[in-house]
Amino acid sequence: MSLLAVREVSKRFGGVKALAGVSFEVEQGDVMGVIGPNGAGKTTLLNCISGLYRPDTGDIRWETTSIRGLAPYRIARLGIGRTFQIVRPFPSMTVRENTAMGALFGRPGARLQPGAALSEADTVLDVVGLGEKRYYPVLRLTVPDRKRLEVARALAMRPRLLLLDEVMAGLNQVEIEQALEMVRRVRDSGVTIVLIEHVMKVIVGVCKRALVLNFGRTLVEGPPAEVLKDRRVIEAYLGQRYARDQER
Amino acid sequence: MSVRRAAYAVAGLALAFVVLAPLTSIDAAQQAGLPLLTDKLWFRIATTVAMFVVMASAWNIIGGLTGYASFGNVAFFGLGAYTAGVVVTNLGLPFALALVLAPLVAAAFAVIVGIPLLRLRGHYFAVATLGVGVAVGEVVNNIEPLGAATGLFLPIVRSDLLFFYLMLGAALLAVLTTWVILRTRFGYGLLAIRENEEAAAVIGVNTTFYKVAAFCIAAALTGIAGAIFAQWNSFINQDNAFAISDNVQMILMAVIGGTGTVLGPVAGAISLELIIQTLAGGGSGSVFSQIGLGVLLAVCVIFIPRGVIDFFGGRSKLSLRYFRQTLRETSA
Repeated sequence: MSLLAVREVSKRFGGVKALAGVSFEVEQGDVMGVIGPNGAGKTTLLNCISGLYRPDTGDIRWETTSIRGLAPYRIARLGIGRTFQIVRPFPSMTVRENTAMGALFGRPGARLQPGAALSEADTVLDVVGLGEKRYYPVLRLTVPDRKRLEVARALAMRPRLLLLDEVMAGLNQVEIEQALEMVRRVRDSGVTIVLIEHVMKVIVGVCKRALVLNFGRTLVEGPPAEVLKDRRVIEAYLGQRYARDQER
Repeated sequence: MSVRRAAYAVAGLALAFVVLAPLTSIDAAQQAGLPLLTDKLWFRIATTVAMFVVMASAWNIIGGLTGYASFGNVAFFGLGAYTAGVVVTNLGLPFALALVLAPLVAAAFAVIVGIPLLRLRGHYFAVATLGVGVAVGEVVNNIEPLGAATGLFLPIVRSDLLFFYLMLGAALLAVLTTWVILRTRFGYGLLAIRENEEAAAVIGVNTTFYKVAAFCIAAALTGIAGAIFAQWNSFINQDNAFAISDNVQMILMAVIGGTGTVLGPVAGAISLELIIQTLAGGGSGSVFSQIGLGVLLAVCVIFIPRGVIDFFGGRSKLSLRYFRQTLRETSA
């Protein structure tokens, strides 16, 4: 039985079909990469899983139960944490308080009190490398640090599945290496990960499998190295002509 | 730092005076030869200030902590007042029962309108609640058993002391409620909703429940103030129970004092109500006073948008730098 199973999910916004019947499964311990050109439906997919959108058709199953259409907070408490591509910190709080919010509300069983949540935040901040900046107001953080904070807040929920939406976008090479290291640490701690990424180095470096979306449909699914060589994928990203030239 | 200490000392003395001074008006104190520190006007102003402390603090819970600027809280005040009117006048039951029922009625109404309206955000929420505030007043104004346009008379209770202490108690309850909320998980949930509602939802905050609960608490507190007002004034109608000016004032007080803080609305209510009372007696000059008040409000909102509590709170100094910084941080 897979941890998460997405079955024929579609979502339409007016005339735009953002998702047109996407299916895939994520096993416990997997790191799955979701790639695709802009507008392929990657973020919509994440929003459907985390409950911010209700899929028009199809089903999303968490272990044995359907979570389609559940309120976001219920899905969060089942053990699904996520980050946002455009970071959404709580601006008036410190780094530590931001992180503690995840521990305070996202835990499935225990109801932590504010004090316990704060000390939990300290542990998580060390994992993502923000330990020294824990008392900073978030507005003082750089972009890479804000992305780390997104991850920290989600990790503080102790999720079983972590959905990462382009946490590496906009980072330089050194920062990407650091972020990759962070993702590996999270994976090694037993968290299953689904990550959206444009940086291919990340997909190849950490993912077991990759899912390519294009116009709301699954284009290819398989091991990253094979997927990235697939003609259809190159076409989707760079156009048919480029793909033809490559083959010659 | 010493400024802050001094401010606390002054506030403490003022509070002690406000709590104890009325006692000089009771017979025993007069016979003992104590000087009379309060008169009718003092009681009227002090009770009114306490009433606005309740309303501004309650507004702060939904508008300041949760980030949903309600423009219809006067509906809760009016409902509280009319609940008292019905209980005391129509049903002939004791006023104490009204004090229990008024917050319940107001809170129940908050659930009914809150569930649909709290889905709206920003201006839409503001306009929708404003509509509710006005509409409830109009409806009440047309219900015959509630006195319709004539209003409702309650049996007169002559005791300045009683109503002052009742209102002061309600004010302390409102401040204490805010203080407690800010120290609990619930309070953190409200702040998360204010700061970023979607982020709050995906980390596990039941946003709908939290928002409705905050609205309910605000409504209940405002309803208590309404009930006390009804018995104190012994006459209620649409104009005084659903006064649009009260509606605007409680928001201004919370904003000027400092939203999201425990003592901000208190500071705002006291300072603004005292200014209004001072200007009210101005005769022909009162027109200019009103203009002056408007200008003062505009200046406050532009230059000290975090409220006077933040401004005098010790974190900052009276300097141009403070103005520049808050301007930069709060303008979009």
